[in-house]
Amino acid sequence: MTQLACPFCGPRPLEEFLFRKTMPNAGDSAYARTYLRVDHGTHSEEQWQHSGGCRVWLRVVRNPSTGAVASMTVEGSAYELR
Amino acid sequence: MKFSSRRYSAWSLLRARFAGAGYWRPLWSGRTLQTAYDVVVVGAGGHGLATAYHLARDHGLRRVAVLDKGLVGYGNVGRNTTIVRSNYLLPENHYFYEDALRRYETLSRDLNYNVMYSPRGVVDIALSDDDLPVLARRGNALRMAGIDAELLDVAALERFVPALAPRRQRRFQIAGALLQRRGGTVRHDAVAWGYARAAAALGVDIIEHCEVTGVHTQGGSATAVETTHGAVQAGRIVFATAGHTGLVGRMLGVPLPIETHLLQAMVTEPIKPLLDTVLVYVGPGHAESYVSQSDRGGIVMGGHLDGFPSYTREGRWHRLEDVVQASVELLPQLGGLKLLRHWAGTNDMTMDGSPLMDRVRYDNVFLNAGWCYGGFKSIPASGAAMARFVASGTAPDLIRAFGLSRFATGHLLDEPGYGPYPVRL
Repeated sequence: MTQLACPFCGPRPLEEFLFRKTMPNAGDSAYARTYLRVDHGTHSEEQWQHSGGCRVWLRVVRNPSTGAVASMTVEGSAYELR
Repeated sequence: MKFSSRRYSAWSLLRARFAGAGYWRPLWSGRTLQTAYDVVVVGAGGHGLATAYHLARDHGLRRVAVLDKGLVGYGNVGRNTTIVRSNYLLPENHYFYEDALRRYETLSRDLNYNVMYSPRGVVDIALSDDDLPVLARRGNALRMAGIDAELLDVAALERFVPALAPRRQRRFQIAGALLQRRGGTVRHDAVAWGYARAAAALGVDIIEHCEVTGVHTQGGSATAVETTHGAVQAGRIVFATAGHTGLVGRMLGVPLPIETHLLQAMVTEPIKPLLDTVLVYVGPGHAESYVSQSDRGGIVMGGHLDGFPSYTREGRWHRLEDVVQASVELLPQLGGLKLLRHWAGTNDMTMDGSPLMDRVRYDNVFLNAGWCYGGFKSIPASGAAMARFVASGTAPDLIRAFGLSRFATGHLLDEPGYGPYPVRL
């Protein structure tokens, strides 16, 4: 995992991107959302930002055991890209 | 295969000289998996082996097994930067790590195995007049707890670390430092091997290449572990699988306050003695780096987390570069060295940066996890405390603050001080 493909900028080096958080997946209470994680090992939904580029917020689905990115979409956006 | 608990001494060396190579035996070997144990420890790293050793030595439990999906000491106990220290700010942490450091001081004698404890000092460097009071505060907290800490001015620091007296101009001026003289390094592999040998001598079965894939339960208790070698009855189960605890949580059906992140380390080609201490440095624009020289002569460097969850053990280049830059900023004379090796370990990162030692879900399943950056330096204290917890059923005072419930009740041990995140952004 040395590059990520930003929906706007195309493939860019990893250091341009900032991992923000793992999306809550262990329940709806504030406690669970803040502290708890269900670790699937091969599947992780995360929020990232292209902080060193176009600064768009991204929703990334990734396999933390291989680094493979399953999907990468603009966070909170309804419109489709490309 | 034959196992020998032969004691090492000057006498045994002398005898071996005349008895020939056959005198030395494997440190541990060849145990077969039984069908039932009093305690099954999952994970043959430092924590698992130390727990098994103390269960057998201090609590007289003889039917103890340590299972590992790989080999003894092939996880994080062989991937750290070998630093030991107890200079933590929070009392719950510094008393615990001080207990570990005291045990490290006598570990070679206790295990009859040379773990090469080297009290060469750990030096936290301040780069500004604003950094120095932060270190002074930490030093004062330690001194009030009876733990050694000294604040050094620049002249004293350069006397203690001659390599820092600049022949070439350093990029940033140093304002002072906090020194813990009893901190230093310990040969990490020897800790794993020493505990494995000592535990095996007390009758602990160490079974390698035996992965635990599930837990059998009845009511509120676990009854057995399912392994790749079949089911094994277990009176009590201890998971000491830091680096993969999130997956254990999923196996047990419990969400845990843990994410797994990568921490990198690297070592240069060997050079003549340059650095006889451990330097910890947070340069402007850098996350963190720590530098020491191994007994073989290589400069060992480590840094901060890669910044996102991963199990790949492939460090990110950008962090490698950051650690090297920070180290060269501090010690410009390292600039010409070549890197020899570079690796990453998987860290259990908790949401407050402090460990987890508690029962989890079932009344006889114990979790030893969430070691963040402190796994190696805590091994002897963790093993002794965990063994007492497992044997008596009550958490010793030393580790009571490390319970899982602290996240629900708000009694966090936020040592790093950046709130409920596994990694500082």
